[in-house]
Amino acid sequence: MTVSEQPPQPPRADAEKLAMFGKRFDQALDRLADAKSFAKPNHTALLVDTAARILPLEGGVEFLYERASEFDRAGVFAESDWANPERLRPRLVPMTIASGNPRLVALECLSELRWLAIAEGRCEHPAVTQEDAQQFVHEVLVQNLDYVFERRTEAARGRIVRAAHRLFGFLAKKVGFAGILDNLIEEIYRILRQRPIQVNHVKRMVTEMAVALHRDGVSAPRGADRLISALYGPTSATQEDPGLDVYRERLATMDGSMLSQEAGSFSRAMHDTGLVSPYHAVFMQFALENATHLLPHALGLSSTGSDALLCYRELVHALIKEAIHPETAEAVYGLAWLLERGTLYAPPIAPALWRQIQLPLMTDVEQVFAQVFGTSLPARVHLLAGVICLLGMPIGVGQGENPTCQSARALSMWAYNDPDFLLQLLAWAARDGEITMHFEGQSISSRELQAGLAQVLHLDLDPVSLVLVPHLDRIYMEMGRMAAGRGEDPHKWVNPEFHGWWVGRGFAIAVDIATGFLQDYEKFVRRFYASYHPYYNGNQPVIHPQPAGIAVTDSHGRFVGWHAITILRVALDNEQKMRVYFYNPNNDSGQDWGHGVVVSTEGHGEVFGEASLPADEFASRLYIFHYDKHELGELGAVPEEEVASIRRMAVESWAANRAAAAV
Amino acid sequence: MTEKDPNKSHIALLGWSLRAIEAMDKFDRRYVVVAPSWAEEHAKQHDIPHLSWDFERLNEKSHEIATKLKEMGVDVAVPLYEETVEWAGAINSVLMDSPRLLNQAMLFRDKSLMKRRAQLAGIRVGIFEEAHNRDDVVRFLIRVNQALLKLHGDPNDPIHFKAFDKAGCLGHRLIRTVEDVEHIPDEEFPGLLESHLDGWEFACEVFIHDKKIRFLNISEYVRLGYSVFIPASPELEKWRPRIREEIEKLIEAFDIRYGLIHPEYFVTSDGAMYFGEVAYRVPGGNAFELIERAYGFNAYQGHVLCSDPKATEEEVRAFFPKEVEDAKGYAGCFLVYPRRRIISDLRVPEETEEHPYFEYHDLRPPMESKVAKRVAFGNHYGSVYFFGDDSHEMKRVLKAQEELDYYV
Repeated sequence: MTVSEQPPQPPRADAEKLAMFGKRFDQALDRLADAKSFAKPNHTALLVDTAARILPLEGGVEFLYERASEFDRAGVFAESDWANPERLRPRLVPMTIASGNPRLVALECLSELRWLAIAEGRCEHPAVTQEDAQQFVHEVLVQNLDYVFERRTEAARGRIVRAAHRLFGFLAKKVGFAGILDNLIEEIYRILRQRPIQVNHVKRMVTEMAVALHRDGVSAPRGADRLISALYGPTSATQEDPGLDVYRERLATMDGSMLSQEAGSFSRAMHDTGLVSPYHAVFMQFALENATHLLPHALGLSSTGSDALLCYRELVHALIKEAIHPETAEAVYGLAWLLERGTLYAPPIAPALWRQIQLPLMTDVEQVFAQVFGTSLPARVHLLAGVICLLGMPIGVGQGENPTCQSARALSMWAYNDPDFLLQLLAWAARDGEITMHFEGQSISSRELQAGLAQVLHLDLDPVSLVLVPHLDRIYMEMGRMAAGRGEDPHKWVNPEFHGWWVGRGFAIAVDIATGFLQDYEKFVRRFYASYHPYYNGNQPVIHPQPAGIAVTDSHGRFVGWHAITILRVALDNEQKMRVYFYNPNNDSGQDWGHGVVVSTEGHGEVFGEASLPADEFASRLYIFHYDKHELGELGAVPEEEVASIRRMAVESWAANRAAAAV
Repeated sequence: MTEKDPNKSHIALLGWSLRAIEAMDKFDRRYVVVAPSWAEEHAKQHDIPHLSWDFERLNEKSHEIATKLKEMGVDVAVPLYEETVEWAGAINSVLMDSPRLLNQAMLFRDKSLMKRRAQLAGIRVGIFEEAHNRDDVVRFLIRVNQALLKLHGDPNDPIHFKAFDKAGCLGHRLIRTVEDVEHIPDEEFPGLLESHLDGWEFACEVFIHDKKIRFLNISEYVRLGYSVFIPASPELEKWRPRIREEIEKLIEAFDIRYGLIHPEYFVTSDGAMYFGEVAYRVPGGNAFELIERAYGFNAYQGHVLCSDPKATEEEVRAFFPKEVEDAKGYAGCFLVYPRRRIISDLRVPEETEEHPYFEYHDLRPPMESKVAKRVAFGNHYGSVYFFGDDSHEMKRVLKAQEELDYYV
């Protein structure tokens, strides 16, 4: 897809697809039901493949659920692993889904729907009772919170993940949250502590939880209250969720100390959770008109942030006026961090933001925004709010469901390290529909290129990514093409040219390109330590964020794929253990990479949004990094045992079939 | 199970095919499946009438099975696979007391004889020769290209090599160089050599009862050995009257009274039709499944009906719909063969899954990572089925599949 030249084809509406596939499903169901036992296998493929296409659609799970008893009786599970429900185990379900095999996943989902139908008494099965089924559904939900939460992982992306989201969201709604509430709350906090820019899915979960608690008359367990109140009633005047208009009226009657209390409650709720209440946006607009002295308080600023606000008073006021509305309330949090980070003190930033405020947008950008965010606010407002969030939370940006980790990483890196460049690219893309970058002196225009890695861009992205990723993705692909055929991994040249001058021109890769086998692996590890590890590089902290490549493994240590990350810092944690702190552009960094390598996102000295691993564990999953050959420590100083143990961890996991005997 | 009518013929299916058995199960004729002994247990388990028989080379035992079937009250034998065509001829010659049927069946099993018979009847065929060894093939390749005035070193025009007695794509090879000739295994000799014709290749499924064409389907190949759809596009269907004439000649030449033939033709750009070959059995390449998807009638039942001399005129007329007009859409399929040499996983391309025409597939996950070199046009990994209402889009989609990886 290209945002610049053609608006994305609006995907065929789900309702239309559901009508078409629904009809096909019913026909296939009839044929399967009619078929004699020996002929069933001839008809299950069509039924299951059609179910696989229905599941990700809006209303698709409901459609299938209504037919649970029919497809079970028709024999869709005959001669499969699901034929005997009494033998099924909830803990195996996530593995089936992670397998990524569309047919198995569809069968698994149909099996869950059968369980739910049995649990609700809509369907009977000789070997299991209604109570068994209720128990199963409950456990399967707890086992699959990832999907209830729309967390995405590298191991499973795309339509299958959407199907799983729909299914488990449906189960959660049917069963109610009461049983899984504790796990749910823990999970929400875990995600929020990474401070992602995109929190829509979290807000949805909190809302549903609030509705469910209210409906079932269950008292909110520890932690739930804070989440719900942060969104719907963070202050004494919003406690009972009175509605935005009523709140506006109340503000007009408050005296100074009441207003100050409101400001303080808002900022506490926001900084506690990372969520921003729409009331907070209303308060900001009110304060802008009537009590600007309360703005630093309402933003929860330290003296650093307050100072930035005062220095750039007019600009900050303009940003609030233009960008902060109940629909874009998250920008309040972005603004707070934009000020705290001192980003505004770099000379080009303020004028670039003035340009951004007035920036006219291409029609097709406006169309995409209308599709994603609706039309209640103009597209430029959403884009400006997005800019504020990205500059405030550079490592809160994610790639959504797109295979564009490099583009998300670049956005993050620029927001972190080169924000005026980012604003320049954004102006070109949003206003002109074209960005130009250079590869070894040769200019590349995004306008002249075909789609890159993402053939179709999933629109679950923040506003800045929505505009820039299609351009960046294409340019990245093109650079890859230009660097291909040199007999070495093209990242060697592409990464510095694409991200910026600060990316080390030294390049290390753990495997031989031609064979895929480990190559000179000990040297690779030593070189990594000698460039990044303060004990071996002359105690030099990482200066610029550096792109690196990770061999991602699943929770059993099996290789999943190559993934782009950024190394941010290498430092001692609170237990005096050396850790690598990094940015992972996928949407949730907390991942289990198997064999005890569990990526931490909190509790080990991480800044919001950082992921971290002990240096050796990190090295064991690393396969590409950049360095400066003039700033290397002594390779020989890295202890033999440490290198050997890293090698062992690699060979036991992603490099299992890559360890050539000769190395 | 559909109620069986004891007054109608009792059918023997030669060969084990679940789809054919399912069709018979839903048809009003009694049936028995004659199949190798490995199918016996499965048949018993599912109450499928079954008679064990090993179809080795036709021999004196053929009379034994014919007698057995006759004693069981069977009226007609219907072959499902190329290898059972001559058995059907032998059995039917006994059942129907018509020795001619065996000779006729043998004719279909020998591609060279078949071609000569067609030529004798005045049907236009390309240049062809029989090959008994690799030298014959090389000589034919050189002579055809000399005739085309190729200079030494010019790329050769290809020739086709088809083992005499292999079904459809299995023994069909395209030969361009002497090296290609080396790759023909010994067991594929003798075979038929044909010059290559540039043109539109297509196949037909012709349901014949009482020497009359009851239903003529034209299957359009998008790429030979890979993709086909039904009914043909309007551009090819405009040749239907000519195709029909040609097929009537064929019916006459081979004296076909009952059953189904599956001939292949070329039509060149000037409209000349060349006969390729003809089979006297269920076609490969999923043509029956596509016919059922496009027209809604069960082609296996149609085949059995046409093979049954006792079927009445009314029954036959009522069974078949009107060609092209009655089709509910275009049904196509693509045979998948991995493009890579090393594969680890079956992954249907997202753009295929997202296409509204895509229906389902029967691809098997890879058993081993090394992909065997494609043998002739055979050993594909399964089929992907499509259905939609526009022939051009169907053609485009099928064409597009050639560039996609199903196995990675």
